[in-house]
Amino acid sequence: MSYANLRLADVEETVPESIQRPVRFLLEWIPLFIVIGFWEFASGVFVPSVVLPPPSEVASVTWELLVSGDVLPHLQISLFRVGVGLALSISIGVLLGVGMARSDPVEDFFEVFLALIYPIPKAALVPLAILWLGVGTETAVLIVFLACLLPIVLNSYNSARDVDQNLIWSAQMMGMPSWKIPLKVVIPATIPSILTGIRQAIPIAFIALVSAELIASNEGVGFEILRYSEVGAYTHMFAVLVIISAAAFFAVRGYEWLEQKVVRWT
Amino acid sequence: MVEGHVTISNLEKVYESGAERTKAIDDLSLEVPSGEFLSVVGPSGCGKSTLLYLVAGFLEASSGTMAVDDQSINGPGTDRGVVFQDYALFPWRTVMGNVTYGLEQNGVAKEERRSRAQRFIDMMDLDGFEDKYPKELSGGMKQRVALARTLAYDPKILLMDEPFGALDQPLRELLQDHLLDIWRDLEKTVMFITHDVEEAVYLSERVMIMTRHPGTKKASVEIDVDRSQDREDIIMSDEYTDMKNQVWQSLREETQPEKQL
Amino acid sequence: MDVSNKLSFDRTDAVNAGKSVYSLIIVLLIWEIVTQLGMIHYYFLPPLSDILVRFFEMTVDGTLIYHGYLTVRRALVGLVIACTLGIVIGVLTARNRIASWFFDPIIEVGYPVPVIALVPVFLFWFGTGDLSKIVLVAIGCFWPVAINVRNATRDVDENLIWSARMMGTSDRQLLRRVIVPASAPGIISGIQIALPISLIITFVFEMVAGGGGLGHIEIQGVRTFDSVQVYATLIAIMILGFALDRGLRQVRFRLLNWT
Repeated sequence: MSYANLRLADVEETVPESIQRPVRFLLEWIPLFIVIGFWEFASGVFVPSVVLPPPSEVASVTWELLVSGDVLPHLQISLFRVGVGLALSISIGVLLGVGMARSDPVEDFFEVFLALIYPIPKAALVPLAILWLGVGTETAVLIVFLACLLPIVLNSYNSARDVDQNLIWSAQMMGMPSWKIPLKVVIPATIPSILTGIRQAIPIAFIALVSAELIASNEGVGFEILRYSEVGAYTHMFAVLVIISAAAFFAVRGYEWLEQKVVRWT
Repeated sequence: MVEGHVTISNLEKVYESGAERTKAIDDLSLEVPSGEFLSVVGPSGCGKSTLLYLVAGFLEASSGTMAVDDQSINGPGTDRGVVFQDYALFPWRTVMGNVTYGLEQNGVAKEERRSRAQRFIDMMDLDGFEDKYPKELSGGMKQRVALARTLAYDPKILLMDEPFGALDQPLRELLQDHLLDIWRDLEKTVMFITHDVEEAVYLSERVMIMTRHPGTKKASVEIDVDRSQDREDIIMSDEYTDMKNQVWQSLREETQPEKQL
Repeated sequence: MDVSNKLSFDRTDAVNAGKSVYSLIIVLLIWEIVTQLGMIHYYFLPPLSDILVRFFEMTVDGTLIYHGYLTVRRALVGLVIACTLGIVIGVLTARNRIASWFFDPIIEVGYPVPVIALVPVFLFWFGTGDLSKIVLVAIGCFWPVAINVRNATRDVDENLIWSARMMGTSDRQLLRRVIVPASAPGIISGIQIALPISLIITFVFEMVAGGGGLGHIEIQGVRTFDSVQVYATLIAIMILGFALDRGLRQVRFRLLNWT
């Protein structure tokens, strides 16, 4: 598909089959090594290494933090906040989206609120959350919840509204009572879009988390990043950044993997 | 008229993806005299579209030669105009904008562009739709715009890739007759790809049947009917039925193995 | 991924959501009554009327306008830089083998990084002024723009390119005459995704580092236990977010009236 693959394929064919996989991996990731190499070189030459710590040091501190377990309680609390916030936004978002799509009174009641929340960048709600809930987990969870709510509502709304009428008719034809239809027909038919909504929400959840933790928290990775920078431990700060980025990356990848395993019929 | 003569000899096209090699076209030789209407039929996946895109110059041949009027084909050129099944109109240009595009590219002055484009827009019964965008048109109209766009810059050869495949029957017949009129009036060489035997036989002077995978020329049937008659008279005539059966029989031999798989 | 579909309920347009405004009025009335009766602590939820009065005062004395200007300037300058770089690199990555080889893995790894977490380090590198905010906004918005532009440009229908070439379009003209217009919807979608990110980064930066801006005066309200200021600033933020979003949609609508 991409030009890169065509090119790499040519190179791969010239090497023995047994090492084709590692060779391809290396070829694909060389640009990244170039960037890291340049950073390594620049640090201490063009910019003081205090200002921009070299990647080798960041890597070793990352390892240290993970092995010593210093960062794990913070990672744990952050992941807990993301998890709870996401779970709330999924359960409420799906109900709201499907409800609004299938019932006019529900839509009329809620749509104005969603229209009002929609243009606010959710990070701007952190101070409000502090007013209500103070500094800590509840605030972070609320912000994650609000940030993820809209993509999930919108995806389930749009697809629940477009559910194939034939599916509903055939369910009725087979004698399903109408109160069961939303649960037995509409939501299952909406699942693929809901899953898309969740996939869009995961990266947003991490942005919301870090925003909330930078502004209003005494623990969690966002707080750790701020704390390390305040004491001038920039290498440690970068190491925590690497860890949270990896967590976000694997959360999306893990979710995609899970999605493929679980929902095989889509 | 001596222009628009296509010569293809020993054409071969192999698709390569990774270590896999798929031969799409194998040792195909073909002559399309200028002004001829040739249809190419074959089972799906036989490489008939590949053949068309090779002649268009979009794809590169693995071996063999192709030439138009003794000039070998080397990439796309304005002597050949393709009409795609999915129209491939520029969605950001109006009907007029699409039809004038080719003229614009070939340095025709603005006033001249509009009047020439208008002629083909009128010819295709599209007058009144000049300022519409493609999304505002039906499939049949889009295909007429695509045809007008291609005719406007006056290629010698029309290469048509199942152009009416997505349209319903009455519309198809209408456009088929329209195409025949144009072909007669403008004296173009036409290579017409289709999987519809009826369409191929009705339109063309000659039908080439391709073999299944890898595609090559299997047979060629001359269609000799009196085209001054109406559609019904042509279709009802014995000789027409006869020729249609010939093509159909030949094609059936190619589709048969698929069923056994 | 098409933002304009994703972000709009067909009937939900804040402008013409008139039908459902009754629910808003009910909630706002309950808000006013409950707070006037003192059933909720003033600090958590001040009466709506107090908030509106403060919002009016802060607008008239120029506070909100000045800080709003600071925020918008930071967000938009950063966004423009990100769009310029993102469009150039995105198009290049989609159409050029070497650029694709070089930038694809970098985009792959850079995209998921929560750039917002770099606020502290940028504070240290570039100080509390505009520069640090603008650069961070540019970095944060670069990824969604670049990835959307790359995908849109890569997915341009091959038949469109072929038909342009058969009509005599040279390789050099192809970019301007076919590839850019054909990928324009995807490019604008990328910008629409980046817009809220630019505001988020600006607000968080202003809250953490100060230096003026709506984020700054909002968090100031929390620190001085002046919740009315928090709410009044939020109204301004809401209006700002709404105006920017509408503006961008107008641009999309004007430029892409053919979609």
